[in-house]
Amino acid sequence: MRQTTSRNLLKNHLWLIAPAALMVGIFFLYPLCFSLYSAITLDNGAFTLSHLHKAFELYSNDILFTIVIVLSSVVILAVLSVTIAALITLSPFRSLTKTLGFLYRLPLFIPFIVTAQMMRTFLAKNGLMNNAFVASGLLTPMDTVSFLGWSGIIITFVWKQLAFSTLLISGAMAALDDSQIRAARNLGASRLRILFQIILPQIIPTLGVAMVLSIVTMMSVLSVPLMIGTGSPTMMTADMAFRINSYGDYHVANALGLVSYCICAGLAWFYLRQNLKEKGAN
Amino acid sequence: MAHLHIKNLQAGYGKKMILDNINLTVEQGEMIALLGPSGCGKTTLLNALCGFVPVSNGEIFAGDRAVSQLPAEKRNITMVFQSYALWPHMTVAQNIGYGLKVQKAKRVEIENRVTELLNIVKLEGLEDEKVTALSGGQRQRVALARALAIRPDVLVLDEPLSNLDAKVRLSVRHEIKALQKQLGFTSLIVTHDQEEALVMADRIAVLNQGKIEQIGTPEEIYHHPSTPFVADFMGAENHIEWPTNDDAFHLSLNNHAAPLDIYFRSENAVLSTQPSAIKDDFHTGLVINGHVAQSVFFGNNYQISVRCGKHTIQADHDQNLPEHTPVTLRVPIDALYAFTKNEKHSEHQKNHAVSV
Repeated sequence: MRQTTSRNLLKNHLWLIAPAALMVGIFFLYPLCFSLYSAITLDNGAFTLSHLHKAFELYSNDILFTIVIVLSSVVILAVLSVTIAALITLSPFRSLTKTLGFLYRLPLFIPFIVTAQMMRTFLAKNGLMNNAFVASGLLTPMDTVSFLGWSGIIITFVWKQLAFSTLLISGAMAALDDSQIRAARNLGASRLRILFQIILPQIIPTLGVAMVLSIVTMMSVLSVPLMIGTGSPTMMTADMAFRINSYGDYHVANALGLVSYCICAGLAWFYLRQNLKEKGAN
Repeated sequence: MAHLHIKNLQAGYGKKMILDNINLTVEQGEMIALLGPSGCGKTTLLNALCGFVPVSNGEIFAGDRAVSQLPAEKRNITMVFQSYALWPHMTVAQNIGYGLKVQKAKRVEIENRVTELLNIVKLEGLEDEKVTALSGGQRQRVALARALAIRPDVLVLDEPLSNLDAKVRLSVRHEIKALQKQLGFTSLIVTHDQEEALVMADRIAVLNQGKIEQIGTPEEIYHHPSTPFVADFMGAENHIEWPTNDDAFHLSLNNHAAPLDIYFRSENAVLSTQPSAIKDDFHTGLVINGHVAQSVFFGNNYQISVRCGKHTIQADHDQNLPEHTPVTLRVPIDALYAFTKNEKHSEHQKNHAVSV
């Protein structure tokens, strides 16, 4: 009786989720499927791998460059955000942690394109950073180096994503029972030891989520490689924009999209597998 | 030799002082219970001992070392937490052996000590279990073993039994006491449960608003409370301010001319339904006439609320009584705790006339 009622309820109220489902369908699923379809078909609809072949032939260096940039950024990101979160959780200096807790959130509210513009004026050969060094007498104008290029892209990605991943990680650290840390302290453990042996092993899943989400975000940013990169090699998003804007070549652009989708899916699979393994062990 | 000596201790959070001028000496192998209501500062005292709350004044000596300015990791005072605080990513053996690992003890040594402790807390064979697979009682025993593994100078227990269900609580309570006798560790246990304190402790310190109200053996605290707060907290829940200006109360004490605060336990109030059945003798300190307001079944007896003028007095009785039954309560003189009110009506002193 109860089951029939709930079934009826489901039938009668299914339309409630229709607007949301329609939105997802029209604005997400359809473009995604169309993009995948376009990457592996000719104009007449026949199956082909030529677009993918062309994408690899022309842009394999850029694909590699993208992977290296994203992975380096994510490693630096992990180290920095764990350090900041640990300082906030473990530092005995309350005023320092309060300031840090406020400062690290700022980049969260600045869009990528503004960040990129900001970094351009900051990292260029005659940018704010070098000018400051020259003014303080640390460097002469001849010694200054431009950070625009691969290092600039990494710096921008890390700066922008730091707030997001630190927010997740410090949240996970704060959620740990404080008495777990106290228990370790009165058994003689130093703060560094507590970080590596007590806190980190317990927040690995959150660290994984923060890193996978950051990778996906970095893979999808166009403004940063366009504004801070030097042209060649560049990131895949810039190549996609170039194929469309210069040649109207949607097929190869979609083929590049497929490649970047596969990279993200691969990472997601790796992460999920790790996560399931841990759950299985528990 | 005093093993833990707390001298004029003051501590608190930020500008808020919680503990005020605490003096306490714990002998080697002694277990002291810190008893008091929520917010009286007993957990803050433990935290100050362990180094989790800064000490603003006074000194703590553990053994012959002054430890109040040392960081938590150098004090060699370990805590057993209310929430167990076990590390869920480690096995039972890793949890217990962690303190020794931190001290860079040899692997064989750690293994031997872990096995020894597992035997002591009766958890043999569980060394490779994840702590998340254990029951509450087992977890608290692992926490106890972990705290004892490094042979601390002082062991402190912060309401270790309050997360356990009633039956397990009794057995763990008994085990902790037996272990303390067997191993002879010096310990402080925080509790708000007077029965727990009476059963486990060698001496009890009753705390109220950051101060020690009374310290003594369980018998002293139970039978000779030195302040109204201690009397009330140790179960003398009936309170009368004398004089009551009420004919229902008759007090026969030596010096009952002075204003008094009188406390007594419900179990000591002898209830009779026939006013003239029992003759008043010199043992009876207080006679109260009233009528039954409520009767509640308590398992082995009934607790009767007796309405006497403005007061409601609780008394134990072996039979259920209907409401409005007229009754007489007689409280023996040695079951009355009377404290003279001083002029300010704020502080109390024990009335020595009662301690016969």
